[in-house]
Amino acid sequence: MAQALESLITSLVPASRDDALLRTELLAHCQEILNSHIGGHNHEPDLGHLSDLVKRQLLQSSPNGSASLKFTNLLSRLLDQPVLSRKHASILFLQSLASSSSRPATVFLPTLAPPPPSRISASPSPVEVHVSRLPGGKSKADILREYRLKIGRPHLSEHLLLRDTLYLLQGISGKYVRFSIQGDDPEMENKLVFMDDSKYIISAPTKALIHRLSEVGYLYTRVEGFVREREGASGVGMIEQSLCHHLQAQLTEYYRLIAILESQMSASSNRAFSDPECQSLKEEETGLTLRRLDVWINEWRLRMRMMSVCVEGTRDAQGGALVNLIHGYTDNGDPFVRKFTDQLLEEVSKPFFATLHKWLFSGELYDPFSEFFVAVDPTLAHMQYVHPSSLAGGIGPFGGDGGFGGLGGDGDDISVDRDGGLKLWEAKYQFQEDMLPMFVGEAFGKKIFSTGKSLNFIRYSCHDSDWVVTREKMSNTGGTLKYSDIAGLERSIDAAYQIASHRLFDVFIDKFNLLDHLRALKHYLLLGHGDFADQLMEALGPSLTRPANALLRHNLTATLETAIRSSNAQNDPPDVLRRLDARMLEYSHGEIGWDVFTLEYKVGAPIDTVLDPDSMVKYLKLFNHLWQMKRIEGTLNVGWMRIAGGARTFLRVPELDPQWHQIRIVMAEMIHFMRQMQAYCQLEVIECSWKVLLDFLNKKEGDLDAMIEAHRTYLDRMVKKVLLLSPKSGKQESLLNQVKEVFSTILMFRDATDNFYYYCLSESSRRDGKLDEQRGVYTGTEQANDPETLPRLINQVKQYGAVFSERAQTIAQGLQAHPDLDCRFLGIRLSFSDFYRKKT
Amino acid sequence: MREIVTLQLGQCGNQMGSVFWQRLCAEHGINKEGILEEWATEGGDRKDVFFYQADDEHYIPRAILVDLEPRVINNILASPYANLYNPENIFVSKDGGGAGNNWALGHAHGEKIYEEIMEMIDREAEGSDSLEGFMAMHSIAGGTGSGLGSFLLERLNDKFPKKLIQTYSVFPNAHEGDVVVQPYNSMLTLKRLVNHADSVVVLDNGALARISAERLHVQTPSFDQTNQLVSTVMAASTQTLRYPGYMNNDLVGIIASLIPTPRCHFLMTSYTPFTSDQIDKAKPIRRTTVLDVMRRLLQPKNRMVSTRPSKTACYISILNIIQGDVDPTDVHQSLLRIRERQLANFIPWGPASPQVALTRRSPYITANHRVSGLMLANHTSIASLFKQMLDQFDKLKKKNAFLDQYKKERMFENGLEEFDDARATCEELMKEYKACESPDYITYVSGQVISSFSLLNPSQGAQDGDQPA
Repeated sequence: MAQALESLITSLVPASRDDALLRTELLAHCQEILNSHIGGHNHEPDLGHLSDLVKRQLLQSSPNGSASLKFTNLLSRLLDQPVLSRKHASILFLQSLASSSSRPATVFLPTLAPPPPSRISASPSPVEVHVSRLPGGKSKADILREYRLKIGRPHLSEHLLLRDTLYLLQGISGKYVRFSIQGDDPEMENKLVFMDDSKYIISAPTKALIHRLSEVGYLYTRVEGFVREREGASGVGMIEQSLCHHLQAQLTEYYRLIAILESQMSASSNRAFSDPECQSLKEEETGLTLRRLDVWINEWRLRMRMMSVCVEGTRDAQGGALVNLIHGYTDNGDPFVRKFTDQLLEEVSKPFFATLHKWLFSGELYDPFSEFFVAVDPTLAHMQYVHPSSLAGGIGPFGGDGGFGGLGGDGDDISVDRDGGLKLWEAKYQFQEDMLPMFVGEAFGKKIFSTGKSLNFIRYSCHDSDWVVTREKMSNTGGTLKYSDIAGLERSIDAAYQIASHRLFDVFIDKFNLLDHLRALKHYLLLGHGDFADQLMEALGPSLTRPANALLRHNLTATLETAIRSSNAQNDPPDVLRRLDARMLEYSHGEIGWDVFTLEYKVGAPIDTVLDPDSMVKYLKLFNHLWQMKRIEGTLNVGWMRIAGGARTFLRVPELDPQWHQIRIVMAEMIHFMRQMQAYCQLEVIECSWKVLLDFLNKKEGDLDAMIEAHRTYLDRMVKKVLLLSPKSGKQESLLNQVKEVFSTILMFRDATDNFYYYCLSESSRRDGKLDEQRGVYTGTEQANDPETLPRLINQVKQYGAVFSERAQTIAQGLQAHPDLDCRFLGIRLSFSDFYRKKT
Repeated sequence: MREIVTLQLGQCGNQMGSVFWQRLCAEHGINKEGILEEWATEGGDRKDVFFYQADDEHYIPRAILVDLEPRVINNILASPYANLYNPENIFVSKDGGGAGNNWALGHAHGEKIYEEIMEMIDREAEGSDSLEGFMAMHSIAGGTGSGLGSFLLERLNDKFPKKLIQTYSVFPNAHEGDVVVQPYNSMLTLKRLVNHADSVVVLDNGALARISAERLHVQTPSFDQTNQLVSTVMAASTQTLRYPGYMNNDLVGIIASLIPTPRCHFLMTSYTPFTSDQIDKAKPIRRTTVLDVMRRLLQPKNRMVSTRPSKTACYISILNIIQGDVDPTDVHQSLLRIRERQLANFIPWGPASPQVALTRRSPYITANHRVSGLMLANHTSIASLFKQMLDQFDKLKKKNAFLDQYKKERMFENGLEEFDDARATCEELMKEYKACESPDYITYVSGQVISSFSLLNPSQGAQDGDQPA
C-alpha cells in the first residue's frame, strides 16, 4: 500500500522525485487521509462520474489528451484488481489530492479561519518577479537600498520586524518596536515606540503598518489584562464572569492564530537561512510578511475592538446594563459584528437567564453581585411580609410555622412590621430600568418584576403550602430561557405572570380572605350593615353627647359587642369580628363623643399590603361622615315619632296645630334630604364603586400592584363622591362644609322642636289638670307657662327651619353645577321634582 | 332588634295571616313545624323580627290570632302549619257566634275579651328585646276585623303610645260587596285607622280582583289566590326588615319617609311581576329589568287600590323595594329615565323623589325572574277611594237602613253621633289629601282636630266608663 502510494506520488508530483523529504511528507499525509473517512460512505460510489471529473481535469492541465488516456488505462487496470476493495475511495482521494492546492505550504494551516485571499498573495508576485527579472539596470528601490547599505543604515530586515510584530500582537514589546512603558511620559502612554537606531532605519510605511498591527496587540493587552484581573478577584458579577469566559475562549483562538503565524514565520525564516538563494522566492510564495500578517490579523482587529469595547463597558456598567451595552451592537448592518455579538450575548446572558429563571419561577432573587434589574433593599431584605407572630391565632394552619421567628423577633423587627405590608411590598424590591436588558423590553420587564415579586410574596408572606404545586406548574411551562429564543422567553414570561398573579389572587382571596375584609370594611365602616349601625347608634347615641373625656373605652367596646349580638353582624366570621373595635380618636378640650367616636377595623399582614394605614385613614374619614348622617337620620326618626305619632295622641293644644303642621313639613323636607343623601352615598357611590372593585377581583387579572391600585381607586372614588369634593382648588370642601352645616342645623331644629314639644306637653297636661279640677279631681298644681316662652320657641323652630330650607336649596343648586357627574346626580335626586329649581 | 308583633283579626285577617306566615316560613327556610330546615344555612336574614325561638329550637311567629267565630282558625289548626303557632296566642270567642258583620257587635265584643287579648299582646311585647310596633291584618267591611279591630287599635294606641301601628287593611269591593252594611262598618273603622294607626296599607278588594283578572287571567279569583297576592305584597314590604341592608331596616325609617303629615298615612302598593311561583297560575312576564320593574310599578293599573286619578293627583312619596340581582348602576339609570319621561308627578309643597331600597331575595325560593319590585306610595288619588266610601255610606245612611242592629250595642244606645263623626273624619281626610295637591298645603289647617278635641278621645271615655272606680 505504501509502495503504491509512493509510486502514485512520484508519478503525480514530479517535484517529489528528487525531494525525499517532500515525498515522505506527502506519503504520510496521504496515509493520514486514507485512514480518515474522507468522502464518507454515505455517498453511493459513482465511479463513472468521478472518472469523468478526473479526465476533465487532466484534459485541462494537458490538453493533448495523453494523460487522460493514461488515466483511462490505469483506471481499467485498477477496476480489474480483485484485491482492492475501496476503489472509488482511492480514486476520490487521488482526485481530491490533485485538485487541492499545489502548494504544500497550506497544509500547515488547515485550521486557519479564512485562507488568505489569493488575490492579495498573488498580486505582489508579478511585480517582484518583474523587478527581479529585469536584466541589467537597477530599480530605484535597489539603488536606494544599496545606498542605505553603503551609509550603514539599511532598512531593518523585515523578518526582524515581523518577529517584533508578532511579539507586539501578544502585547510584548519587541527589540525594535516596543510599547511605551507605564510611567513614562504621560503623553507617551499607550503609544508605540520605534527604537530607531543609527544602524538601521524603519521606513515610514512600515512603521504605519506596524502601527496598525500593534493596535491589535494593544487591544489584546487590555482584554487579556481584564480577564486576568477578574480571574482571581472576588465580587465579580456573574455576567462579567461569563463575559470573561467568553473572552478567554476568544483569546485562545487568538493564541492559536499567533502560534500558527509564528510557526510559519520560523519555517520561512529557517528556510531562508538554510537556503538563502531561494529565500526571496520562498518568501514571496509562502513566507510571512508584514502585509500578509495584516491580512491575517484583519478580522481579529475587529474582534479585538469589540471585545475591548465590552471590557471598556464593564467599567461603568455591569449586569443587565452590560448585557444592554452588548445588545446595542446586535443592531448592526455588518453581519460579522452581528454574529459576533449574538454569540457573545448568548454566552454572557446565561447567568442573567439563570437569575431570571429563579426569579420568574421561584420568586427568589439570587443575584449576589447586583446584576439583575431587580434590586433588593438591603434593609428590608430579611424582612418577611408576615411577622410570624401575627399569624398566630385565628389564621390557622401555619401558626406554628414561624413560632421561633416570632419569639426571637426583636423590637426593631416589630417596628418595621408596624410600617405595614404595603411599604414592604413597595420597597423591598426595586425595578431598575437601566439594568433591564433591552431585548426583554420594558413591558415584559415589568411583568417579570411583578411575577417574581408576587411569587416572593406568596412564598414568604403567605407560607403557601400549595406552593409546590404552583412551582411545578411553572417549571413545566418554563423550559429553558435563553437569549436566542426571545419569543419563547416572552411566552414563558406571560405564562409565569398569569400563573403567579392568579395564584396571588387566590392566596389573597381564598387564604387571607381579602374579600371578607373588604366586605367587613364596607359593612362596618361604611355602614353597609344597616341594622348593626342602627343598633350601635341606638345604644351609643345617648352617651356620645357627653364630653369626650367622659367616655370610657371599655363601655364602647361593650356596646359594640351588644350591637353585634343583636344584629345580623353576629353571623359574620369571628375573624372579622375580632378585628372590629370601637374607640375614640384623639380629642381636644370641649369635644363631645360624637366628634371623636370611631369604629376601627384592624388588619394585619399580609392584608395590610392592600389595606394599608393610609387607606384606613380614608375609611375612617368616610365612616365619620356616614356616621354623622346615620346620627341625623336617627334623630329625625325619633323626631318623626314625636311629631307624627305622639303629637296626635298626647298633645291637645289645638291652637298650636298649624305650627305643628309646619314643623312636620320642614321635617319631611329634612327627612327627604337625609334619605336622598344616604341613598346616594350607599347606592350611587358605595355600591357602584364596590361593583367595579368586585369585577376586578373576580377577573383575577393583574398583580398585587394592580390589586392595590384597584382598591385605592375604589376608596378614592368613594371619598371624593361621598364627601362631595370638588376638584377646584381651595373649594374642595366647600360643599362638604355646607352639608355639615345642614347637619348641625337639623340638630338645632330638633332641639327646638323638642323644646316646643315639651311646652305643648306641659300645656296639655295643665289643661287636663284644669279639666280635672272642673270635675273636682285635684291632680296637682300646674304653673301657667310664661307667655314669653311660646313665641320664642316658635320663633326658634321657624328660624332653624328657614335656615335649613335655604341651605338645602343652596346645596341642591350647587350640586347641579358640580363637575362630578355622580355628585350632580345627587342634585337631581334632591330636586327630583324640581322643588329646588331656582325661583325666578 | 326591632320586633314586630302581628295581629290577625277576623276571618279575612286570619286567612291573610295564614298565607303570610306560610310565605315567611318558606323565605326563611322554616318548615311547617317551625323548625329550621337543615339546608337553611345561608343566613343573612333576620328571623327574629317576626319569629322568636322557643327553648326547643322552634321558630314561633310573633302572631296573635283572634276571631269571634272558629271556622277559619280551626282550618288553620287543621292545616299542616297547625304547630307553627303558639297555641297560647290563639283566641277564638267561646260562644263562637261571631260578630255577624256588625261593627258595633265586634267593637262591643272587644270590651269583653280585652283582658284576655291584651295579656297575649303584653306577653309578646315583653318577649321582645325592643318592640318596634304592631302589624294588624284585617278587613274593614265585616264585623270582627273592623269592629274588634277598631277597638284594639284604640287600646293599642293607648297602651303602647310609642310603638308604631301599621295595618294591612282590606277595603271592600265597592261594587259587589257581600255585606250590605259594609259602608257603615268601613266608615266606622276608617275613623280608627285615621286616628289610631301610624300607617295603613290599603288593599282594595276591587283592585285585587281586577289584578287577578288581568294578571292571572281568572275571572273570579279564589280566596287563596287573592291572599297569595296580598301575602306577596306583605312579604315584600317587610323584606328590608327581614333582609337588612344599608337602609330601611326599621319600620320607622320606612314610614317616616313615606308619611310627612300624620293623617295622610294611607299607602298604596304595586307589585310586579306576579308570577306563578308566588301565585298559582300567574301568566309569565319576561322582561324584568330594573327600569321595567320601576316603570310598571308606577302604572296605575298595577296599583292594588282602585282609584279614579284626577289630573292634579300626585305622589307625596314613593318607596320602591327592589328585590333580586340588581346592578346598582341600573337603578341610577332608571331614576334618570323616570325623571326624564316625567313618569311620576310629585307634591308641589316639598321635595319628593322615588326612593329605592335594594334588598336581597330569599335564597331558598327560586324565582324565574331576575328582578321584582314592590312600590309603597303615598298618593293623593286615594282620596277618590274615600269619596266612594262616603257616597256609599251616605246612600245607605240617608235611608237609615240597617241601623237597628247597631243601636242594640251600648255605643249607639244614645244616638248615632259616632256615625257622623266617622263620616266627618273621612271627609276631612279626603279634603286633606286633596289639599296635598296644592302648594298651599303648607298653611293647611285641619278642621277635624278641633272637633276631635272637643269630643275628647272616645277611647278614653270608653275606658273611663269601663272602670268601676
